[in-house]
Amino acid sequence: MRPVGLYVERQSPIHGLDPITKLSYAVCLALVPFVAGDLRITFVALVVNLGLLVVGRVLREGLLALAGVGFFLATLFIVQGMVYPGNATPLVSVGPLVLYQEGLAHAAWLSARFINLTLSAFVLLFTTRPADLVDELMRAGLPPRVGYVLLSVLQIIPSMAARVSVIQDAQRSRGMETEGPVWVRMRALLPVLGPLVISSLVAMQERALALEVRGFGAPGPRTFYRPPWQHRLAWPVRLAALSALLGALVWRLAG
Amino acid sequence: MATGAQPRAGVWTTRWTTLTLVLIPVGIAINFVGKFVAQALKLPLWLDSIGTVLAAFIAGPWVGALTGALNNIIYGLTVDPVSFWYFITSVGIGLSAGIMARLGFIRSTARAVVAGLVVALVATVVSFPINIYLWSGQTGNVWGDALFTALTLRGVPLWLASFLDELVVDLPDKVLTVLIAFGLFRALPRRLLSQFDLGEAGHRRTA
Repeated sequence: MRPVGLYVERQSPIHGLDPITKLSYAVCLALVPFVAGDLRITFVALVVNLGLLVVGRVLREGLLALAGVGFFLATLFIVQGMVYPGNATPLVSVGPLVLYQEGLAHAAWLSARFINLTLSAFVLLFTTRPADLVDELMRAGLPPRVGYVLLSVLQIIPSMAARVSVIQDAQRSRGMETEGPVWVRMRALLPVLGPLVISSLVAMQERALALEVRGFGAPGPRTFYRPPWQHRLAWPVRLAALSALLGALVWRLAG
Repeated sequence: MATGAQPRAGVWTTRWTTLTLVLIPVGIAINFVGKFVAQALKLPLWLDSIGTVLAAFIAGPWVGALTGALNNIIYGLTVDPVSFWYFITSVGIGLSAGIMARLGFIRSTARAVVAGLVVALVATVVSFPINIYLWSGQTGNVWGDALFTALTLRGVPLWLASFLDELVVDLPDKVLTVLIAFGLFRALPRRLLSQFDLGEAGHRRTA
């Protein structure tokens, strides 16, 4: 069963870095363009992110995942090219539709900011097992109950997704139609979701009992199964990411 | 429904038990599966908040809000970083669905439609400023963006065009989401529901 998320199991220096450091990095670098408000700075951040995806040996996977939003970015160029309020210089015209230079430049800025946000997150997501990230967040002070919620989502989704196909097959063998016009496909929603949701909610009661029996609600501190994740570059990387963000702020205020 | 001697829940009452806590990840998983099924059936809707609405119906507005918030956090941490920005939308959906349920708006299908309209309006009001900030008003939905373009070219102000862009997508999506959650809620065994404070949501016509 395929686990949830984008994580790719591989050996690389980025995979070896601790999750909290990578999370701090991703947050700082994703915010750099929003703070700097400058396309050139955004390109620098983009290049840094691409470089780290290469070091993390996940560049191919990252670019493939990014291709999924290509259609949205294309609509961004078309719509902004037509309707951006600052539009003045016509560039291309297709029939009655005119694309303006200012709108296209604005779309380029929005897309660069978005691609940078996505790639910053990819540096974390492709190289970090979600369970490791939640573990380290709990060690850093996330309440264990919230940690449980996040971790159990990761376990429940694959098992529910597997049950979807079983239920779909069962209902299809009873004559449920999954192809055809929209309203026909819409009618297939309840026969699939109904058994799935109700059985999961009933199973939830058993899970709650099992947790109670094992001291889930007990007071007192919690201990960890795994030792803390230490890395000698943890603090240098965190500080570098933070100074990049501060640098962006200075750039904004000075420029 | 055997409410017995226990005091009836108000709009904001939450019973924080282990069961309530376990409901949250199940709700998030239902959101995920709803989206998955909608994509598999090639429906022109998101249907990615059925679990948030259902959790809000069962356990109240706070649990709905928490389910929504954690849903977008876990989604942002595993699949789609942009969903972080929209976590306030999910909180709004959970809160409004829970409030409407506790005010007695899921007692009949007709009332559930009203609840769906309210949830859709809340989702739109919270989302469209984020759309303006991130995408200069677009939503990424083809129909909504086509409307947005047509309106803007006719001189409609950006904020109004963006609001309507989001509304045409959210209105059918959230009304259907609430109706599906309503149908599922009614089908749940009473033995399960009796462990939560349902408030006005518990008074069913069919009782």
